[in-house]
Amino acid sequence: MLRYVARKIVSWTLMIVLATNLTYFLANWFLDPRANYLQLRPPRTPEQIDRALSQYDLSPDTPLLVRWWHWISNIVLHWNWGYSPVGEAVNGQIAFRIGVSAQLVLLSTILSTVIGIALAVYTAARQYRFADRFNQSLSIITLNIPVPVAGLAVVLLAIAFNRSLGSTLLFVAGAQSPTVTGFWPLVLDRLRHLALPTIALTVINYAGYHLLQRSLLLDNINADYVRMARAKGLTRTEAIRRHGLRTSLIPVATSIAFTVPALFTGAVLTETIFAWEGMGRYFVTTISKNDVHGAVAVAAFGALMTAFGAILADLAVVALDPRVRVTGS
Amino acid sequence: MTANIPGLEPLVDDVSSVPSAVEERGVGRRHTSRRRLYLRRFLRNRGAVVGLAILALLILFALAGSLFTSYTYTDVDFANLSSAPSPEHVFGTNGAGNDTYAQAVHGLQRSLVIALAVSLLTTMIAAFVGAAAAYLGGLPEKIILGVVHFLLVVPSFLILALVSQRAHGDWRVLILVLTVFGWMFGARVVWSLTTSLREREYVQAARYMGVGPVRIVLRHLIPNIGSLLIVSFTLGVVATVQSETALSFIGFGVQLPDVSLGTMLSDGANTVSSAPWLFYFPAGLVTLLTVSMALIGDGLRDALDPTSRSGGRA
Repeated sequence: MLRYVARKIVSWTLMIVLATNLTYFLANWFLDPRANYLQLRPPRTPEQIDRALSQYDLSPDTPLLVRWWHWISNIVLHWNWGYSPVGEAVNGQIAFRIGVSAQLVLLSTILSTVIGIALAVYTAARQYRFADRFNQSLSIITLNIPVPVAGLAVVLLAIAFNRSLGSTLLFVAGAQSPTVTGFWPLVLDRLRHLALPTIALTVINYAGYHLLQRSLLLDNINADYVRMARAKGLTRTEAIRRHGLRTSLIPVATSIAFTVPALFTGAVLTETIFAWEGMGRYFVTTISKNDVHGAVAVAAFGALMTAFGAILADLAVVALDPRVRVTGS
Repeated sequence: MTANIPGLEPLVDDVSSVPSAVEERGVGRRHTSRRRLYLRRFLRNRGAVVGLAILALLILFALAGSLFTSYTYTDVDFANLSSAPSPEHVFGTNGAGNDTYAQAVHGLQRSLVIALAVSLLTTMIAAFVGAAAAYLGGLPEKIILGVVHFLLVVPSFLILALVSQRAHGDWRVLILVLTVFGWMFGARVVWSLTTSLREREYVQAARYMGVGPVRIVLRHLIPNIGSLLIVSFTLGVVATVQSETALSFIGFGVQLPDVSLGTMLSDGANTVSSAPWLFYFPAGLVTLLTVSMALIGDGLRDALDPTSRSGGRA
């Protein structure tokens, strides 16, 4: 088991290193940090710009391979991912943004998984009846609503809700208010900010789990072992939940393991709409501000999360499915 | 065409005794033709029919919508800046005075063209590469799968953003990059399905007859996964609309002065409480587009899949 995981980790690490370096060259090719200095007043001479950029290893006049060597040795030796064109450390930015993204992602993932699977169990037991048909149509619609539409619809509803209430109960922008102090007020404030983006993400994500789990459960619901459980005297709900669900949960667990990491960087639109300064937002900012090092760091983080998800998915299958045995060879 | 109802006449004797010209007619009468069967199964799915109707209306709107307005999407009406829907501007105008109706027609065209082109191209590439990898086997298979897996790890969204940012929102470049980074997952699925097909007798027969590998892939392997490809094409349209909208929304896709549904949504996002009509109309159109395509894809899957029971019998 350990050898299996170790082998996986080695091959994924190679992939991540390759992908990160590829992104470094691509980003250098497509992004021009000089643009950040061109709008400054008083205008800078090319030499001044060059000098400013070369202290961060970003000057296009230095050969690319030399810059690359500085960049990679800084990461390997000092775990320093470089600086933006105006000198902010990438490490500091990433560190606090991971926390912001985590708040957003974790709660909505838990909610959408629980809602999705619960709905699947409920509807699979009532196949082709009204409740099933209705929920399935609803899920097909919510699954295919584009993210900006869902996010902005939530914003519009919340504005109407706040207006009818006469006060701002739910904030439509930001992760927290700057003026709040004290532990419990802070928690409450965070929750009031968290509610809307969480709702938006949950609405978009639950349907995937619902549809997948429903069709898998329907494959299993008439299996012999579920009938056996019924014959032993379990109620129908109980037989489905304890015996049918357990076997059909495996592929869903795999897909959850894959989506959690993707959400970390993939919540770009949600973070944009609700003005959360997380990883997704950072990704957009780095590209529009020609921040080569920042963009590459986001890419590396994304690749790391993908690898993490893949390994997690393998482990989930091993843990859930007694038929799967892994050996080192 | 009432003669095509199966089981209307006992034609079994007919088939075995009469000459071939009549036999063809007889067979045609006895069996429901494949196309007819698929059509019937598709039409039985109410959601799919609704989806098809919505899509037809959307395409009609994109093609003929400009006939009903005197404005083009670039025209600026300085008398109406950010004005609400009125008889003059059915969908209102945006902050720069552009007619939202004309923009919506143009944006829908743009989004449709991008989505259809990208989905068609990615499906074709995925089919060819996936099937070729499975058929060739050995080292070529390893190399192709390695490239596919590598491209899946590469942060494609970031590269998409980088490239289309550089191209200043040219929609043709957008089609190109979305295609380049969109075919891998499909290729992986095609590959896993084709690995079982390559062992079939008809493939071996073709090989022993001296048919070349390209021809075997194109004429023997790909047609046999046709139903999967059709479904993945429709679902690819949904995925492309989603990513085009996403890219344009954060400003890396289609860019001004060109207009797509994504740029309109990002316009609407900034004024969502002061000028909500800028959000409502593009949001409605893009949602109708994705949901109708998804319903069609669902219906097609049920119609084309011989083991599916959700379309009823036959």
